[in-house]
Amino acid sequence: MGIKKFIKKVKSTLGLNNYEIEGKKKSLKDLIKKLNRRKKRIKKSLENANKKEKKDLNEELEIITCHIKKGKNILHKLYSK
Amino acid sequence: MVNSLYSKLLTPIIIVLILGALVLLGTYPDISTILGGIALFLMGMEYMEDGFKAFSGGILEKVLERFTNNTPKAITTGFFATAIVQSSSLISIIVISFLSAGLITLTSAVGVIFGSNIGTTATAWLVSVFGLHIKISLYAMPMLVLGIVIPLFLKSKSWKGIAAILIGLGVIFLGIGYMKEGFETLKEGLDLAKYAMEGYAGIFVYVLVGSVATVIIQSSSATMAIIITALATGQIDYANALALAIGANVGTTVTAVLGALKSNENGKRLAVAHFIFNMITAFIAILFIYQLTEVVDYLSIIVGIGIDNYAMKLSLFHTIFNLIGVLAVSPFIGKLVTFLNTLFIPKAEKEEGKAKYLDNTALEFPMTSILAVIKETKHLYDNAFEIITHGLNLKRSNLLSSIPLEEVIQDEYSKSAVDIDAFYNHKIKGIYGEIIDFSTKAQSEMSPKEIELLYKLKLANRDIVEAVKDTKHLQKNMIKYLKSTNEHIKTQYNRIRIDLAELLRNINTVSATEAEDEILLLLSKAKVHTEKYDILANGTLDNLIREGLITNEMATSLMNDSAYAYDISKNLIAMAEIIFANRNSNFENLNEEMSMNAEDIKIILEKKDD
Repeated sequence: MGIKKFIKKVKSTLGLNNYEIEGKKKSLKDLIKKLNRRKKRIKKSLENANKKEKKDLNEELEIITCHIKKGKNILHKLYSK
Repeated sequence: MVNSLYSKLLTPIIIVLILGALVLLGTYPDISTILGGIALFLMGMEYMEDGFKAFSGGILEKVLERFTNNTPKAITTGFFATAIVQSSSLISIIVISFLSAGLITLTSAVGVIFGSNIGTTATAWLVSVFGLHIKISLYAMPMLVLGIVIPLFLKSKSWKGIAAILIGLGVIFLGIGYMKEGFETLKEGLDLAKYAMEGYAGIFVYVLVGSVATVIIQSSSATMAIIITALATGQIDYANALALAIGANVGTTVTAVLGALKSNENGKRLAVAHFIFNMITAFIAILFIYQLTEVVDYLSIIVGIGIDNYAMKLSLFHTIFNLIGVLAVSPFIGKLVTFLNTLFIPKAEKEEGKAKYLDNTALEFPMTSILAVIKETKHLYDNAFEIITHGLNLKRSNLLSSIPLEEVIQDEYSKSAVDIDAFYNHKIKGIYGEIIDFSTKAQSEMSPKEIELLYKLKLANRDIVEAVKDTKHLQKNMIKYLKSTNEHIKTQYNRIRIDLAELLRNINTVSATEAEDEILLLLSKAKVHTEKYDILANGTLDNLIREGLITNEMATSLMNDSAYAYDISKNLIAMAEIIFANRNSNFENLNEEMSMNAEDIKIILEKKDD
C-alpha cells in the first residue's frame, strides 16, 4: 500500500474526510432553525402591527424566506454529496 | 520574550560549542563530547520548535486563544502546550503576538507564562526518564531517518512539520546520549564532585553557576539536561544539582529580559512578570530547600522513584518548586497585572492614528496574523464610522442610540463642513498603510487558503477607505443643500442621510451581535434598501426634474451624490460581510453562499412593487 493510500485510509477510518462537511451541515441546520424561529416571530408581530410596521415586517419576512430557501438548497446539495 | 534575541544568539552559541568541541577533541575528548552533545541538544530544540510551528497549522494558536479565558485555564493550557511542544520560547512568542493582537488579556498571558514554567519541567522528565535509563541514542536514528524520508513523499506543510519534530527529537536524543557519554568518560579523568559544597554557601554558589550557565547557553532546558546527565554520572552532588536547577530558573529570566529589550510593550510586561515569578520561586526554593528535599524524598517513595535515582528526584524537585511558585504567585495575578499595566505605556499622541493590533511577533503565525488584521480592520472601521457620521453632519451618540432616524438628522454635528481630508490623514491613512504592509509581510508564511482570506480582508479595508473618500465628495453639496430654501432638494439630501444613518446603525448592531440570523437579515436588508433607495433607479430623480421641482444644477449634484451614497452603502456592506459576518468557522464557508445576490434582491424588490 502506498503512503498516500494509507493516509487516505486512515483519514476515512477516523472520519476526517467529512469533518468539514459535517460542520457545515450542522451550522446550516442551526441557522435555518433560527431563521424559522424568527419567521414565526415576525408572523406573530404582523397581527398587531400598524401600516408602516407591516411594511417593514413583510420586507423582513421576504428576506428570511429567501434565506431559508437558499439554506435548504445548500443543505440538500451537501446531503447529496 | 526570548524569541528574537534567542534566535539570533542561538546560531553563534551552537557554532561556539562546535568550535570548542573541535578544539578540545584531541586534548579533552570527553569535554569535547559534552560540548557536541549540548550543541546537538540546542539544535534539536530549534528543529522541534520550527516543526511545531509548521505542524500545528494554527491549532496551537487556536487552543491558546480559546482556553485562556480565566487564570486556572490559562495556567493549565500554558502547562500542557509547553510540555507538548517542549519550548517555552515558542509559547512565549505566541502569547506576545496574541497580546499585541488583542486576542487575550494580560492576565491570561501571565497565566500562560506561569503554566509554561511548569510545562518546561517536562524536558527534565524526558531526560531523566528516557535519556538515562535506556540507550536513547538508539532511538535517534529511526527518528532522523523518518524525518528525512517523510518530506520526500509528503510535501504538505503539516508533514514537513512532523518531519522537523522527528528530526528535532532525534537530534535531542543524540545530544543527551553524547552528554551522558562525555560525563561518564570525564569521570575517569576528572571528578567534578570533589568541588561539591555544602550548606547555604554551596547553594548560593551553585545557583549562581546554574544561572550563568543558562545565560550563556540561552536555554534552561539545555542546562537541566546537562545537570541531570552530570548528576546521573555522579559528576555533581545531588544537593548542588538542586541549587543548579534553581539557578537555571533564575538564568532563564535573564534570557527573557534580554530578549524583551527589543520587544514591544507587551513583551516587556511579560518579561517583567516572568522575572518576578521566577525570582519569587527561586527565593522560596532556596529558603525551603531542605524541606523541599524531604518532600521530594517522601513523594519519590509514593510514586515509586528509587531512593538513589537522583536524576528523577531532581526532575521532581524541579516540577515541585515551579508548582509551588505558581501556587504562591497566582493569587496575586490581579495585582501583578495592575502593576504591569503601569509599565511601558506608549505615548498616546503617537498612537492615535496608528495600528493598535499589528505587531511583527504575530507574523510567524498565520492565524494570529489574520486575527490581528481583522481586529485592526475593525479599528479602522471605528475611525471611518466617526468620519462618515460627522461627514453626514450627524452625532455619533445619536446614531448609536435608539432615537428615530428622522430625529437623529435634525440634531446636527456642526454648522460647517468637517475637514474630512484632515481626518483621513490623521485617522485612516496611517492605519490603512500599516494593514497593507503587515498583510504583505504575513502572506509569506501563509497557505493559499489563508492568503485568500487575507486578500478578502484587504478588500474590506479598501472598501472602508473608499467609503470615507466618497463621504468627502458627498459632504460638499450636502452642507450646501441642507441650507437650501428648496424643500425638495433638502428632503432628498436628508433622505440620503437617513439611509446611510440606518446602514451605519445596522452595521453597528451586526458588529455587536453573535446571532447569525440577525447578521444575515440586517445585511440583506441593507442590500435591499441600497437598491430600493437609489433615486437614479427608482425614478425619484426623473420625477423631480420632470416636474421642475429642482434646478438643473441641483439635479446634477443630486445625481452625483446619490451615486456616492450608493457606493458608500455598497462598500460598507461588502466590508461588513467580510469582517462581521464570519464569526463561526463553519459558517465562514457558508457566508458567501447564503448572502443575497443581485438576483435575490431583484426578486424581493419586484414583489414589493406588486
